[in-house]
Amino acid sequence: MSVEEIPLDADRKKHSYEFARHAPEYRHQFEAITQEMQARCPVAWSDTYGGHWVAAGASEVFDLARSAEYLSNDHDIEGVRRGYKGISIPSQDHDMQIQGGFLEMDPPGQREYRQVLNPYLSPAAVARWTPVVDELVRACLDEKIETGRIDFVDHLANVVPAVLTLAMLGIPLKSWIVYCEPTHAAVYTPPDSPDMERVREIQVEMGEDLFVQMAQIREHPRPGMVDALVRAKIGGKTPPDMELFGVLLLLIGGGFDTTTSLTAHALEWLSEHPGQRERLSRERDTLLDPATEEFLRFYTPAPGDGRTITQDCEIAGTRFKEGERIWLSWAMANRDPSLFENPNEIDLARTGNRHYSFGLGLHRCIGSNVARMVFKRMLTAVLDRMPDFECDPAGAVHYETIGVIQGMQHLPATFTPGPRLGAGLDETIEMLQRLCDEQRLAEPVTVRKAKAEIAGQRPAAGV
Amino acid sequence: MKVHVDPERCQGHTLCNMIAPKMFELNEIDGHSSPVSEEVPADQEDKVAEAVRSCPEQAISLS
Repeated sequence: MSVEEIPLDADRKKHSYEFARHAPEYRHQFEAITQEMQARCPVAWSDTYGGHWVAAGASEVFDLARSAEYLSNDHDIEGVRRGYKGISIPSQDHDMQIQGGFLEMDPPGQREYRQVLNPYLSPAAVARWTPVVDELVRACLDEKIETGRIDFVDHLANVVPAVLTLAMLGIPLKSWIVYCEPTHAAVYTPPDSPDMERVREIQVEMGEDLFVQMAQIREHPRPGMVDALVRAKIGGKTPPDMELFGVLLLLIGGGFDTTTSLTAHALEWLSEHPGQRERLSRERDTLLDPATEEFLRFYTPAPGDGRTITQDCEIAGTRFKEGERIWLSWAMANRDPSLFENPNEIDLARTGNRHYSFGLGLHRCIGSNVARMVFKRMLTAVLDRMPDFECDPAGAVHYETIGVIQGMQHLPATFTPGPRLGAGLDETIEMLQRLCDEQRLAEPVTVRKAKAEIAGQRPAAGV
Repeated sequence: MKVHVDPERCQGHTLCNMIAPKMFELNEIDGHSSPVSEEVPADQEDKVAEAVRSCPEQAISLS
């Protein structure tokens, strides 16, 4: 290529925007920033975080996310391929870098991992767990139902996804506390926080337990996704332990914090809109599905992903160069008026809601079916048993920044007390552990088709 | 009216099955969608049209 043919950087990057999504201001001015970028520069160059592109427009994000031949997710920890930095922008400068599972891989390895895990996470596979989720939700609500007070994050939305994820992995359910706090705290604790040392300590504790589980399950097979992973052949070989560790961290991180965030935000909004809450409860047969998609669109718990450009190319009207980094903003695309009428309003009955909250293309969130099911069961149980709940705005704690996850740390609420229906959480978790063991619930759907059976469980209303 | 799901584009978002369960079935193992029948009965046309509009990957087409 002659010099004349190389587009000048100033020309390529003429649409620029100072994009700082890790700053608290980004959260506070999200709608205004989104509108401005979509109107002026739906794909913009930003000098922040070492310099990177930002895609904010719905059609641009769509085209880019689906251009797998030009975009890479690879996180080349050891510098043996092209040195790409994975999906975090800026890249994390931890002492010990860990590849973020198959979300930081390209095909064919990425596809092979998903083929190993799909039979545990498909809609048919996930539906088998519904009775277990209902029992967990019941126990969480029973712990608080007589008091008239609950923190929807601490006492419900943190607990259920964590216990279920461990059950699906094949890790003892009672270990959920070892996994829950470090996974959430890792996201909401700023790197310079005085609390970071404690967070690192509990992260190490969790990591050690995970390695113990891998070793035990390798020695003594036990159904679940850990078993599938330690026995998997990727590219014909058993992957190194650190690579499997990254995959497990991806499943845990993806399984815990996102569903928690979605549930908390939805409950907070419904508390602020009691008429809509009553309508959703009354018309749940037709409204629960579209309302779930609408909460997903509006709150976009995982707001975006980074990619690396793999060869010089032009996509969506912008010329990119190999090695450049780009942020695909699912959250901003979800507010694009060219795709969504009144994008900054929540319409529980919205139609044509092709939101980007689970990503697009071959990296579509592998846990999307789990997220939807767990969210719906938690939400409907709250609507049934605490129909007049009122969240306390003074006690609600949102994540200070939404660069990684748009989440909530606390959401206290009050409600008219009601009667308990059964055993408390610890006893229920023990019972569910026996059930997992006896019925081998964590087998893939190719081995076990039937739903979990819980003696004496009343059939849940709706859904 | 005929409906087609492009298996190369479908990524298993499952919205079509949520909207028109009689018209789209999901693979048991990966959740990817396929039409139950190519022909769309008259009473399913609205739902299938809504599924087309709602597919995040734009994988469903009508002819």
